[in-house]
Amino acid sequence: MKSKLGIASFVLLMIFAPLLIKSEYLLNLLILICLYATLSHSWNILGGYCGQISLGHATFFGAGALTFRYLWLGGVSYYLALPAGALASLILAFAIGFPSFKMKGHYFSIGTLALAMIALITVQNLLPGVSFITEACLKEYSLLTIYYLAFGVGVATVAAVYALSRSKLGLALVSVREDEEAAEAIGINTFKYKVVAMSISTVIAGFAGGIFAFYCGTYYHYAPFELGWSFDPLLIAFIGGAGTVVGPVVGAVVFVLLKELFAASLGQVNVLIFGIVFIVTVLFLPKGLVGIAGIVRKKDRSART
Amino acid sequence: MGALLQILSYGVFSGALYGLVALGLSLVFGVMNYLNVAHGALIMLASYTVLWVCYYLHFDPFLSLILVIPTFFVIGWILFMGLFQRLLALPETEKLKNSLLISFGILLICSNAATMLWTADERAVATSYTGKVIDLLGVRLPYIGLATVFLAIIVVFAVHLFLTRTYFGKAIRAVSQDYEAASWMGINTSRACLVSFAIGVALAGFPGVVIALQTFNPMVSFDLTNKALIVLILAGVGSLRGVLFGGLLLGVVEAASVFLVGVAYREVVGLVLFVLVLMFRPQGIGGRKA
Repeated sequence: MKSKLGIASFVLLMIFAPLLIKSEYLLNLLILICLYATLSHSWNILGGYCGQISLGHATFFGAGALTFRYLWLGGVSYYLALPAGALASLILAFAIGFPSFKMKGHYFSIGTLALAMIALITVQNLLPGVSFITEACLKEYSLLTIYYLAFGVGVATVAAVYALSRSKLGLALVSVREDEEAAEAIGINTFKYKVVAMSISTVIAGFAGGIFAFYCGTYYHYAPFELGWSFDPLLIAFIGGAGTVVGPVVGAVVFVLLKELFAASLGQVNVLIFGIVFIVTVLFLPKGLVGIAGIVRKKDRSART
Repeated sequence: MGALLQILSYGVFSGALYGLVALGLSLVFGVMNYLNVAHGALIMLASYTVLWVCYYLHFDPFLSLILVIPTFFVIGWILFMGLFQRLLALPETEKLKNSLLISFGILLICSNAATMLWTADERAVATSYTGKVIDLLGVRLPYIGLATVFLAIIVVFAVHLFLTRTYFGKAIRAVSQDYEAASWMGINTSRACLVSFAIGVALAGFPGVVIALQTFNPMVSFDLTNKALIVLILAGVGSLRGVLFGGLLLGVVEAASVFLVGVAYREVVGLVLFVLVLMFRPQGIGGRKA
């Protein structure tokens, strides 16, 4: 009960935040946090819960961004273009995502990386130019709208993952992660659950891509296909805590803030620091930053009793 | 006919390089089931080391190997002691996953650190024989390409001899076949893993020289890792002799694709081949069913 109240007040606070802070800079940061948290959760469903570590999530993110951009610049309003982007991403999952489950374990990881590179090179070749916002679209462009959109999608995603983690479906996904053969042996259709996980994951990635395409004014068409969009959500999820509801959100906050902190003074050094933190997390904190809280709480409890 | 032979020759030259690129990765993967995706970054670092050695000590790039190989042996030793040793006790799939993730972190760190320290500019070592060619029946064969092929054959042969003819090499092979049984036979398994990991990293020096003679930048590490993975899969996992053939196959296919679909999609052809093999023949084209 207490936690529900906390969450409700947090959501309310975030809804009124733009009215209170009135700083475009902070609003930008909040949008980025929402975007990364959404994308990272999208990876988390497939990689954290279902254990299928994808190194090619940018493909679906990019597909969402590309579709959104084309429709939006073509005159479709953003609230229609956004779900269309998600749909395009899902269709792409049907075309290339589900067949990639023929690859198991680490083969899936390197195979999806190869798919992401194929997508990147193809888009680079087909659309080498820069995407500009047209004047008509500029009227629709407002940071406040983007913030509410990004926040809405983010909250919906977190809620969906929360529901998933408490459902039978979530349990099935975890069983696939823990031991695919054992899950198969007790009658779980592992392929079906992997497909379900990927469908949810790609739809969310498509939404995130649409928000990126809405938020970024001018960028190269292939920018959302860059490998970084595959790697960042993975790093964020692992550092925050893969396979948890809170982890990717915590990870996204740390990621965006670190990036801001170092971008001004040291440029690219945030990737370096994140890489090191990532290795340390994989080695010593399999549950990520969220895991630390768990350890502390456990110690607290045992100290009291 | 002449054009075809010319294309084929380029395929063979880049194929030999791909074979060298994949060799260290394949050794490490075969012996202890670590998927070291940082291998491309290590090759990139080796190229920079060659560059500095040539620049400051005025060595010939190929001569610089006598410094580069020991350096990378030590780097491999340190990496194993610091990061990879603790994974040895994990069960098979966990081991693979964690080694993939850790080396992936190393790949990110190295390529970004190199960009920060040495900028993203294209570099190359220029020698007196850069760009020189032999004309053989109308086919132009660059010196460096020929040297790459010789280097690849010698190195693969040497590693093969080491693994089959020396006592320690046999111990490494025993570990790769059955970790536990090897330890029951009195083989110091963790030491065998340590040395083979260090050798695997040291082997990054050879492709490093060839890359240094072409143009390179820090971001080449992703590309190299990619090529190494493709060759690893084509060759059949853990097959060292297959590495040379896998490399040649990829090289020739890429060269042919330049001819057929244009230079822009050269990488894509290799990647598509890779994904198809992963899906339908994950044990490799020449490999046995695991």
